[in-house]
Amino acid sequence: MAKIIGIDLGTTNSAVAIMEASAPRVLENAEGNRTTPSIVAVSKTGERLAGLLAKRQSITNPHNTIFSVKRLIGRKFTDPEVQNDKQWLPYEIQAAKTGGIEVRIGDTWHTPEEISAMILAKLKADAEAKLGEPVTEAVITVPAYFDDSQRQATKNAGEIAGLTVSRIINEPTAAALAYGMNKKKNEKIVVYDLGGGTFDVSVLEVGDDTVEVKATGGDTHLGGDDFDKRIIENLVAEYKKTDGIDISKDPLALQRLKEAAERAKHELSTAQETEINLPYITSDASGPRHFVLKFSRAKLESLVADFITKSVELTLKTVKDAGFEIKDINEVVMVGGQTRMPAVVEAVKKAFGKDPHQGINPDEVVSIGAAVQAGILQGDVKDILLLDVTPLSLGLETLGGISTRIIEKNTTVPTAKTQVFSTAADNQTSVEIHVLQGEREMATDNKTLARFVLDGIPPAPRGTPQVEVTFDIDANGIVSVSAKDKQSGKSQSVKIEASTNLSKEEIERLKADAVAHAEEDKKKKEFVDTKNQAEHAIYNAEKALKEHGEKVPAEIKGAITEKIEVLKTANNGVDITAIKTALDALSAEIQKIGQQYGQATPPQSGEQKPEEPKEPETPAQ
Amino acid sequence: MEEAKETIPTELDTLKAQCEEYLNGWKRAKADLANSKAEEGKRLAEFAKFVGESMMKDLITVLDSFALASAAIPDENDAKKGLLIIQAQLEDALKKHGLEKITTTIGDAFDPTRHEAMALVDGNGKSPETVAQEIEKGYSLNGKVIKPARVMVTK
Repeated sequence: MAKIIGIDLGTTNSAVAIMEASAPRVLENAEGNRTTPSIVAVSKTGERLAGLLAKRQSITNPHNTIFSVKRLIGRKFTDPEVQNDKQWLPYEIQAAKTGGIEVRIGDTWHTPEEISAMILAKLKADAEAKLGEPVTEAVITVPAYFDDSQRQATKNAGEIAGLTVSRIINEPTAAALAYGMNKKKNEKIVVYDLGGGTFDVSVLEVGDDTVEVKATGGDTHLGGDDFDKRIIENLVAEYKKTDGIDISKDPLALQRLKEAAERAKHELSTAQETEINLPYITSDASGPRHFVLKFSRAKLESLVADFITKSVELTLKTVKDAGFEIKDINEVVMVGGQTRMPAVVEAVKKAFGKDPHQGINPDEVVSIGAAVQAGILQGDVKDILLLDVTPLSLGLETLGGISTRIIEKNTTVPTAKTQVFSTAADNQTSVEIHVLQGEREMATDNKTLARFVLDGIPPAPRGTPQVEVTFDIDANGIVSVSAKDKQSGKSQSVKIEASTNLSKEEIERLKADAVAHAEEDKKKKEFVDTKNQAEHAIYNAEKALKEHGEKVPAEIKGAITEKIEVLKTANNGVDITAIKTALDALSAEIQKIGQQYGQATPPQSGEQKPEEPKEPETPAQ
Repeated sequence: MEEAKETIPTELDTLKAQCEEYLNGWKRAKADLANSKAEEGKRLAEFAKFVGESMMKDLITVLDSFALASAAIPDENDAKKGLLIIQAQLEDALKKHGLEKITTTIGDAFDPTRHEAMALVDGNGKSPETVAQEIEKGYSLNGKVIKPARVMVTK
């Protein structure tokens, strides 16, 4: 069956996604990009261009390059919004006989539906090329505030492009769908969508199988582009101040500055400071001039603070319009590229007192939601086979009380994993398997699920026996742990039925615990690891002396014995630095045996990975 | 007794249907896995090809600056020669990783697949919609245009 595609038909950019193997996937366009500029043009030779190519030629052909047509679709020419937009749009529009709008390209007049259809046709063709099969059906998203006429016009655009529009859905609803919030009954959701050119806020309420839009708000002329403009204005002013040159009249310099400003903005989402370097930005009588300016996150935030404040005010107003209080809101979802800015997230978080959702790429979340809706229509997203994940890691205790994880948290079940462990002492004939659940580094901090002993291991030097331990979680969450000595074939196992009987709160608490203690646990683990290494090094050094003792010169032998004693003393203490120093000293000393005889393989030093009891020797999977 | 007899076939039917449904689900899951593995392989190959794209784009701005620098030094001295050698070195290194310069000649027809128009200029008799001047070089990475050449276009 042909796939139904999900389309986010945006004001500035559009994106296409599909459901594939029950997971959404954004499709790349012919140019290899995941978003397509919502721009079409007809060149003087009559060739129709859409997307990036239309954007690249816009300067040569401003009157026939149509962008932001979403601002016009389904509207009447006399709408105040249209009259306002008419002032700044470089292409010509006029009233159609029907009262709608017509856009001029070359000598012909087109409806906004036809223009939108050109974008949709490009999206359709690129999706077909990517999928290698025809695409005939689509789910298209529109802003929540679109009225019937605008929705119908969008649907018509789809039909003109050769697509059966199986559903028109609201952009905020799509975003909520992408996060799986349609399953959260009776939740109130705020969707904060700060895109390139527009800012939309929607308040949604999830009922039984429905998502209802309770209120919408925002500003149709506020977005990332305004942020960029502010930055550029500031950079131009700064440069004028420091170097006395006004580059605002130089289009080439401005273009380079614009790109640098955008890059700086992106960088400052992760870095605190960046440097804008534009060598040879311009030249004057004294020769070439360069643009070098440090730009900090604090500076950026101060420049756009009023935009952010305004967006939050509009958000709060919309919540009020919906008849809700701030505390009624269960979830906040971030949409639009500009929401990557930490200050925006911080402001929204402060306003609602909770972390907003921003795990899905904010440029793609709407198209992903449209694909999810397409999947529901197609029957891909059936809840027949709900696969669970294990909420906490499972593992076992190894030498020194360390918790070694075998199955990491969030692994989809059913699953099984095997690792090989060994013994800690010579002639050890049994090992204890202590099954643990939790994220902490030390065994004592995690929950004990079971303990059992595997005995009958034939006597052998430490590290030689191979004990294969298998963890298996079945689809019902039942954990089976088995241990088998590979040489004797003896095995032992345990079945734990109650491993997932933890309440949601308990799981959250355990996870939070692990985060809270991460630093301290790391230190503890490092300490035990070092002690284990030291112990191992002592064992190996003594073994080396015993085996090669007569061949080693007395002074080296004496030095090694002395270093062993120092390490033993240190290892009985708690000073990790002392142990490390003594360990290094012994390692250096022991290497002399190897150097002395030019052996290809000197006796193992403490630096090597210890074959400790129950420490993985060779991962068996 | 009567009632029990009645329900047995129905129960069997339900179980059969369920069995069928589960088997189909299993087959589907296996097929999905096989498909997504194949797909993943393709995607990885694609990914490997363009993994350097964003780094290449950053380095292209350095190449652009080199071009501006050498253009700004009018006389042919050893210092300029050195600079040009470094530029060539960088270009060679990037070429090894699949970066190719897009050749643009004055008078070429403007082509948005390779060019980005920066401004319109008087053609002074030259045919319209052609490249009047190349401001920044364009580049392609393994055949994909990652930066179009920035050009002035005749009116």
